[in-house]
Amino acid sequence: MINDEKVKVDAMVIGGGPAGLSAAYTMASAGLETIVIERGEYAGAKNVGGLLYGTVLNRMIPNFFEKAPIERCVARRELIFLGVGEHMRLSFGAEEWTRPPFNNTFIVHRSQFDRWFAQQVEGAGATLLEGTVAESLVYDGGGDERRVVGVRVRGGEEFFADIVILADGANALVTEQARKDLNLRSGRVKQDYAVGVKEIIALPRGRIEDRFNLESNEGAALDFFGVPFEGIIGGGFLYTARESLHLGFAARIETLARARLSPYEVMERFKAHPVVRSYIASGELLEYSAHMIPEGGYNAVGELTGPGVIIAGDAAGFVNMSLYKEGTNHAMESGRAAGETAIEAKRAGNFSRDALTAYETRIRKTVAWKDLRRFRRVPEVLENCPNLLSLYPRKVNRLLIDFFTVTEASKQENQRQAIRSFLRGLPKFRFVRDIIRARHLA
Amino acid sequence: MSDGISDKMSLADKLYRTKYEPDAAHPHIVVDQAICAQCKEKVCLVICPAEVYKADPNHPNQVTVSHENCLECGTCRKACPFDGIRWLYPEGGKGVKYRFG
Repeated sequence: MINDEKVKVDAMVIGGGPAGLSAAYTMASAGLETIVIERGEYAGAKNVGGLLYGTVLNRMIPNFFEKAPIERCVARRELIFLGVGEHMRLSFGAEEWTRPPFNNTFIVHRSQFDRWFAQQVEGAGATLLEGTVAESLVYDGGGDERRVVGVRVRGGEEFFADIVILADGANALVTEQARKDLNLRSGRVKQDYAVGVKEIIALPRGRIEDRFNLESNEGAALDFFGVPFEGIIGGGFLYTARESLHLGFAARIETLARARLSPYEVMERFKAHPVVRSYIASGELLEYSAHMIPEGGYNAVGELTGPGVIIAGDAAGFVNMSLYKEGTNHAMESGRAAGETAIEAKRAGNFSRDALTAYETRIRKTVAWKDLRRFRRVPEVLENCPNLLSLYPRKVNRLLIDFFTVTEASKQENQRQAIRSFLRGLPKFRFVRDIIRARHLA
Repeated sequence: MSDGISDKMSLADKLYRTKYEPDAAHPHIVVDQAICAQCKEKVCLVICPAEVYKADPNHPNQVTVSHENCLECGTCRKACPFDGIRWLYPEGGKGVKYRFG
């Protein structure tokens, strides 16, 4: 592959996250000479996440959960509304979720998981260049003839390839520049970003299992909404890892800016709520992290292919921000589709824009795309119906508390009073409209 | 070390727990102070999870940048309405280095 002047391979992948690694795994397994460029010291060094849906990975690496660094499977999920001092929760789980394939839902430390995945990709024959920053694409020709022929890394070195797969994540400097250079069509709406902030909090294994009522290896995934996130579009999460908790929240950047609320402040508000406080008590902070999430969804996805180039994963905007909060799996699905398209193009010896649009056709057939489409209205519902996640659950929570408040009054009197106060201040027409719209969220 | 994760913890203390490979010689963030001078809202001062941006105590209307605390999320880049932040990836292997992520 190396001669005196230049390195030329079949495929270059920018970014060693789930999208780039899936693309590389697919291509290397088919015998394509593949190089992955990762700016972190190791794959995963810059990545943050906790919940992993594994359906796509399981297709690529069957029973990956027997080998991969999985912290716990998700045996139980909870939706928790946080009021000022009160709360309510919906908790559900299934014994079946604790047996292979574990409902394809896992809790992982992404730095460790991505590193493992990168090793599998190397095992499949790809070359991983870690600690290397991709600076820009290398083009040949001008105007309409312009096509991608390689990647320039910091320091000036150039790597040439028949195809470049852009998987540089949410904070996608290379993709953003490439979109301009190649004049790629944007999505119907501007991409919107959330910022996620997270703390890894150490707790002894046994204490986690006692506190969350879990058997060993079983985990819980808790989603929070309500008072700590009032005034912004966002919500919190808590995932139990083996000997630590992932505690954090994600909120739309624009709404934080408008409210002039700092992520630090929101996190401290969240942690100060009595429900959260008791979960994390006596824990020790191990790591504080932040990452962006593209959450414009389906309508924000633009053109994804150009001559000699394909965009995948977060860089393409493949995140489902509904209650499922699915990003990693979609990244893998799109990376895999990109890899398969590259293999086909290689076989045909055709890497033109027209040939690579096969990627978009392929993507449209995936579950990821169907889900993105299904949840395309999530951003607008969250924007237009702020009461859904604050006023209404607060009222329901209050109703329950009032019903079970024990006083000298008769139960009948109590209940009448509870219902009266529930209806007071409830915008009836809007309530019905919002409830109907809520179907878009799950 | 304090026993209380439940007690309010300073941001400096939080950042102290995160691992970095510092690179003082190559600041990867540069703000255009001419733009900052015109900007009233200064969203950067509130939006950064690592509070990299602070009001410059010595120069009114300007901001200081502690790039070595950057968690590399890119939020500031998306939040600045005037494109006043030139944000590049740090050098290969440098910057934040998540152990858990």
